[in-house]
Amino acid sequence: MSNKFLCLALTVVLASSGLAAEPERSVIQIMTFSQQPVWDAPWRFDPVRRSSGSGFVIKGKRIMTNAHVVSWAKQILVHRYQDPRPYLARVKFIAHDCDLALLEVEDESFFSGLEPLKFGDLPKVRSTVVTHGYPAGGEQISYTRGVVSRIELQNYVHSGNRSFLTVQTDAAINPGNSGGPVVQDDLVVGVAFQGMPGLENTGFFIPPPVIHHFLKDIEDGFYGGFPMAGIRVVPLQNPAYRRYLRLPDNDLGARVDSLLPIAATEKLIQLDDVLLRVGKYEVASDGTVLYEGNRVSASAAFQTAQRGESLSLKVWRQGKETDISLPMNVYEGDRSVGNQYDVLPRYFVYAGLVFTPLSLDYMKTLGQGWRDVANAELIYELYYRRSEAQDSTRTEPVVLASTLAHSVNANFKISNHALVDKIDGVRIDKLEDVVRAFESTTNTHHVIEFVPNHAFETLNRVDAEAAQAEVLKTYGVPKDRRL
Amino acid sequence: MNVRFIHCFAVLLLFGSGPGFGSEAAKKTPGDWERELVSVEVHRKQYDYFQPWTKHVQTVVKAGLLIGPREILTTADGLDNRTLVRLQKGGRGPWWSAGVKWADYPANLAVVTSTDEKFWAGLKPATLAEPVKKEEEIQIIRWRAGNLEVRKAEFSRFTVSHPNMSDAVHVQLELSSEIDGVGWSEPAIAGSKVVGLVFSQSGNQLQVLPSPFIRSILDAQKKGHYKGLGYFDFTWQPAENPETLDYLKLEGEKRGVVVIDVPDKRDTNPVLKPRDILLQVDGFDVDTQGDYVDAGYGHLLLENLSTRNKWAGDPARLKVWRDGRAQDVVYRLPKAEDAARLVPEAPFEQEPEYVIVGGLVFQPLTKNYLRSWGQDWERRAPFRLAYFRSQDPTPERPAVVILSQVLPDFYNLGYQESRQLVVEKVNARKVNYLSDLQQALKKPVNGFHILEFTKGETLQKIVLDAATLDAATKRVLDRYGIDKESVIVSPAK
Repeated sequence: MSNKFLCLALTVVLASSGLAAEPERSVIQIMTFSQQPVWDAPWRFDPVRRSSGSGFVIKGKRIMTNAHVVSWAKQILVHRYQDPRPYLARVKFIAHDCDLALLEVEDESFFSGLEPLKFGDLPKVRSTVVTHGYPAGGEQISYTRGVVSRIELQNYVHSGNRSFLTVQTDAAINPGNSGGPVVQDDLVVGVAFQGMPGLENTGFFIPPPVIHHFLKDIEDGFYGGFPMAGIRVVPLQNPAYRRYLRLPDNDLGARVDSLLPIAATEKLIQLDDVLLRVGKYEVASDGTVLYEGNRVSASAAFQTAQRGESLSLKVWRQGKETDISLPMNVYEGDRSVGNQYDVLPRYFVYAGLVFTPLSLDYMKTLGQGWRDVANAELIYELYYRRSEAQDSTRTEPVVLASTLAHSVNANFKISNHALVDKIDGVRIDKLEDVVRAFESTTNTHHVIEFVPNHAFETLNRVDAEAAQAEVLKTYGVPKDRRL
Repeated sequence: MNVRFIHCFAVLLLFGSGPGFGSEAAKKTPGDWERELVSVEVHRKQYDYFQPWTKHVQTVVKAGLLIGPREILTTADGLDNRTLVRLQKGGRGPWWSAGVKWADYPANLAVVTSTDEKFWAGLKPATLAEPVKKEEEIQIIRWRAGNLEVRKAEFSRFTVSHPNMSDAVHVQLELSSEIDGVGWSEPAIAGSKVVGLVFSQSGNQLQVLPSPFIRSILDAQKKGHYKGLGYFDFTWQPAENPETLDYLKLEGEKRGVVVIDVPDKRDTNPVLKPRDILLQVDGFDVDTQGDYVDAGYGHLLLENLSTRNKWAGDPARLKVWRDGRAQDVVYRLPKAEDAARLVPEAPFEQEPEYVIVGGLVFQPLTKNYLRSWGQDWERRAPFRLAYFRSQDPTPERPAVVILSQVLPDFYNLGYQESRQLVVEKVNARKVNYLSDLQQALKKPVNGFHILEFTKGETLQKIVLDAATLDAATKRVLDRYGIDKESVIVSPAK
């Protein structure tokens, strides 16, 4: 009898560990129906797009996946392993900077019998990992085994302008794998998320340090994002430069070459400061830190901080070491040069002229080769002016995105996609200025000036005001503005 | 006698069968063209702006036309940095030593001559047509493998645009032809006359310098009036939006274009002002698209009036609408070669400028440097450098010097990935020209040279050891086989 009990208990234990040993049971297929806004006709949406991705159950009855799997979602359906029934899910938290999201399922019975997967540590280079997911090419779950090839900071293409710790593997990561767990010894050591065009047998996954940062960030019920120090560090390996800074001739210390306009950083950090230590990480002369055995960019050390925390730095300044406690906050100043989500684009339509803020998303409406065809002024304004000529930087540069043809604007010769300089003498610093300029003037004509060369167009004000309602109706624009 | 008549008739038939072929065509045979068309062989140095100390040798064979006593007309393309020029007649036989009598690169015209009397024997001058008629049958001729090749071309249109390498704008003839590999001054002929010289080809489209334009320059050269091509340095926009003309209170019919940008010359009062309506140039009415009606060509862009029998320094009489009334002003044509550009053409007949400092290579930013990115250079060159072309020079930044590359040496360790950085200051001295850089390097700061670059996403500061700089530079020159550490041709500013 007692032997029988022991045996039963063992069976239960086995069964329990059997769940853990079958992580595929907790791997979820995600079907997303999404609709993105049209950035040069911002009141419209692209056709509904159906896409699939993967996810996995973690503790708290939540599904972890990639942000890009569920961005702009109108409806999300999730499927359990070998269960035909779709369940309705919704986004609980989404982190576009690090491409992670957590979903909730409306019907909590979805989670019954599913064991949440647990996270492991950053895997070692050369160790073996297995990706689980629902890639394109079939309906059933797929497993691919690979080796961890390298660990370093890589650009996260979902946001487009943020780099975080990334693990490269030769396990195939294909469309549909996104959001699926990468498993080692039954523990999740990453979330599959992107490949690289032109590189075969190369996939990338988001490692535990980034995942844990995300999970900790949302503990207050809100995702704020990775903070940024705004310090551009460059290697300091030239002996003359080291002597100039009276720095010992060793392998420590990288130089601060420029700063982003972040008040705390500009107050506490100086150009030519030499970063010796960030948090617990020593900074080498090539601008790297040794992060769990991997030599990676010192940015990884800054990314250990949560927003609102302070990071202890040791810098070399004017011939001696100085300790600094640097407040770390989220930087929004470069939002327009990254891919934007969640917030619908702002616009104002007046007499058929569609004005919208300049952004990368807007530029992409010019097509895949937009860099080749775009007005150089727009590229300069978007990418260079902010860092080169802060005095003339606009808070939110505005473009004439398109023209809805009407007799009132039919003789316009200015091409669309032009950067707006002034309207009726008002310098356009942000979209609200466009509205204010048009709505406040009593002149006979509106004068719209563009960059460069002071090219301008004119509208008869009375005719323009009279045409407004007709233009909106003709082109199905529900409202003349979204501010 | 009968046979001879029949023979002549056959020739007439062959050459006179095309539509619209003038009666003069019958008088000219290929044999005539063989005595008018010569080959011009040019050996020249070609510089690689990525390695400005290197010279490649290039040989081009162009077409030339006898136009007068001891004068062979050709385009100026390919004549710069020449080391040897020779002429050949009849498409074969000996080459005769020659020299360039004059070359005008903005106009893309040159006259070549030879002192060898024997060369001129048997040659006959060609006639340049005036004007060019759209309806004429046009052919392109050139020497090919010792024979005269004659290929048909069709009139496409007259355009007004920048030719190669210049701010000057003038009328051009655009032809369509199946001929390949032209653009080296091959004559376009109609009947017995030359209607132009082909100076570039893109697919089937040929760009041709029309004969009237060529004649005007040759005549001015002969009379000693020629002062180089001028250009309009103001910017205008079409006035096809009638509301714009209403806003500017133009009275009468809609006409003219609107001046929107006038260069700030600081030392002179500008003749034109932004928002002037330009109504007439030298008595030619300007329409709202910016065209005027040319007696020889029909509708042409008004820019052609800056080079239509006018030269740099000549006055142009402009009628503008300003302050509610028409006003006459006199505008002096600035010289195209002197156009103030932040990114200029490198001067012709001059080797590229550079300075090597401890392996760091500095160069002035010129269009020639940007063209090193190949035919598609406007897209392929680094955006930030190419963007300077759209910016005007200012007293603070009249020109741009870049750190173009670093030739690796232990001395410049840590900077070896740096390239295409725009230099701001060296040892606290503003650097606009290479001469500024050289002066600044004479005054190191506490034993160091401190180089600062434009703010942006790239490296902003480099520090070099002053004491070992000369030795490092010498070592780099030796290691990379470079003769001179610097070439600075333009006068110190």
